[in-house]
Amino acid sequence: MSDDVVDVLIIGAGASGAAVAWSLAETKMRILCLEQGGWMNPSEYVSTKRDWEVLQNTDFAISPNFRDRAADYPINDDESAIAVANFNAVGGSTILYSAHFPRMHPSDFRVNSLDGVADDWPIDYQTLEPFFAENDRNIGVSGLAGDPAYPYHEPPLPPVPLGLSGETMGRGFNKLGWHWWPSDTAIITRPYEGREQCANLGPCNAGCAQGAKSSADITYWPMALRQGVELRTDCRVREVTVDENDMATGAIYFDADGVEHHQRAEVVIMACNGVGTPRLLLNSTSSNFPDGLANRSGLVGKNLMFHPWGLVSGVFDQPLASHFGPQGSCMLSQEFYETDLNRDFVRGYNMQITRGVGPVATARNGVAQGKIPWGKGHHRAFEKYYDRTIYMGLCCEDLPEEHNTVTLDPKLTDSHGIPAPKVTYTLSENSRKMLDHGLEKGVEVMQAAGAWDIQSHGHVRMAGWHLLGTARMGKDTSRSVVNEWGRSHDVRNLFIVDGSVFVTSGAVNPTTTLQAVALYIADAMKRNLANLFD
Amino acid sequence: MSSDDIISSDASLDAEQSRTFVTVLDLIIPASDDGRFPSAADMDVLGYIVKTEPELLDTIRLELDRLNAVSKDLHGVAFGDALGAERQALLDEVRGDEPKFLRDLALQTVTLYYQDDRVMEAIGLEARPPFPKGYEVVAGDLSLLDPVRARGQVYRDVES
Repeated sequence: MSDDVVDVLIIGAGASGAAVAWSLAETKMRILCLEQGGWMNPSEYVSTKRDWEVLQNTDFAISPNFRDRAADYPINDDESAIAVANFNAVGGSTILYSAHFPRMHPSDFRVNSLDGVADDWPIDYQTLEPFFAENDRNIGVSGLAGDPAYPYHEPPLPPVPLGLSGETMGRGFNKLGWHWWPSDTAIITRPYEGREQCANLGPCNAGCAQGAKSSADITYWPMALRQGVELRTDCRVREVTVDENDMATGAIYFDADGVEHHQRAEVVIMACNGVGTPRLLLNSTSSNFPDGLANRSGLVGKNLMFHPWGLVSGVFDQPLASHFGPQGSCMLSQEFYETDLNRDFVRGYNMQITRGVGPVATARNGVAQGKIPWGKGHHRAFEKYYDRTIYMGLCCEDLPEEHNTVTLDPKLTDSHGIPAPKVTYTLSENSRKMLDHGLEKGVEVMQAAGAWDIQSHGHVRMAGWHLLGTARMGKDTSRSVVNEWGRSHDVRNLFIVDGSVFVTSGAVNPTTTLQAVALYIADAMKRNLANLFD
Repeated sequence: MSSDDIISSDASLDAEQSRTFVTVLDLIIPASDDGRFPSAADMDVLGYIVKTEPELLDTIRLELDRLNAVSKDLHGVAFGDALGAERQALLDEVRGDEPKFLRDLALQTVTLYYQDDRVMEAIGLEARPPFPKGYEVVAGDLSLLDPVRARGQVYRDVES
């Protein structure tokens, strides 16, 4: 069955697809987005339930393989040191993200020039700066202007509360003379654009019932839909089609009833994340593209980057009410972000201070580790840990390596029989040294802050949120998949706007940069509309 | 959540198994001396397991029978009828032999326990979900950032 032709077909309604849909809507082109998931109902998020701590790890688990919702597709990550985390729905993984929103640094776009590793991006921080700001305004970002780890910028809303735990860590960082700052956060701390401010519910990373977390379903999508963009949910794309002139002609997809359609389009935009996009391109073979669409460079699916993740926790004497407030967002330290030649690794990492866990997780962790005993001592031990624990995530920059890949699994398929992705990934020596350094420094600052029981652990396997690099941008057609504004080198009406296009990963949660890149690409498309395919 | 919210699970265990089961629960989390915290034996842990991890039920029966058999061998009575010190020694021995079963049981027990209204109130929480009321969090003292500001720029300048 063949449907009407649309001007622009966007595949994927997550962070980048939503931003591009909104940006292109002003052109009044006919824009259609296909999303394999559906709309989320905030009243079903875990914070509306008494057993929220249990549901967080079951119905809203971060692994698609464990969660196994109808919208999910399986991912073979048996041969990966890091397991993939994602979410499939309108809003994509922003439904579960922590909304920690630090930008990449200017130096992140010049790693080859500065440090002689990987490649420079074909664009720079300055190019993206107006799009960072536009994105902050569009979705509502909170933070404190003046962070000396960044070029000056002003988040539109005041920062999320530090709480007693943030103050405690701030004093620890000050004792060591290290940088720290309240995090930029995609959570609104004041009423904004018809949404209510954050109520400090806690488990943001299992969906925000308050609507204060700026996920793409409640920020960009309402704006895009008001401007006439069409969004079809529960529609899973099987392949992008192409003609004999190497031009994309649309996509074949299954609708909610499993009926196959061919949606024709003048322009196709991929926004399926760093695993979903290469999967779809590799599934889109033809006589002109036997190795997958837009893959004449052979780089589709290669150079997969995550962020190797470390975890440090500290337990303090005083009550900190540490499990209230936005769970993943409090403050950060970028003391060890930039390369220091005195260390035995290049590049660096971000320290992300997060909140504590609730009573159930406190008890489960304590019992499992033998710190909260059975019997008479149970209650006293529980009180020593509960609401007195602070966590720190170490987000390490991952450098691109061609042997880290997304390929098609020879056997595994999704519920429509479409070959599933297989992720093959190892941690580099540089990453291991960086992690070791970060864990040591994490312990040091917990000690300085006064923690009496400190644990460090890394890398954390189930932490593959950030899916980057598998269709990188660049000017050299043999070293990249898309050009400096997201257009495929091989297919001139095919664009990629998600984390796949990242040349390097930086050492921060990528969503703000990813959305800025998507807005920048959309802007470039609008500016080049008359000769988009030249 | 109160135990009434949990699916009842009568007849999952026989009388001797039941007596032993609640005895084990009380050994995992006994009531506090000051009466603030109830015993885990006061909660329908079995019903919770039936609802959330039913595959554990067969193992529970087997392990309770094993505990009772050992207790009868050594002390002539089922575990639930043994004296306190004997129970503790037996349990410690079984924990050494078969840590996974008791570990799983303990984890399920604390999971239910810390969702109970009485326990939530005892630890200073209102017995409610986080939404819609939410919580107050202190803004924090931003003057703590003065030394960070004073130190100045910490990112690398890059030429465009």
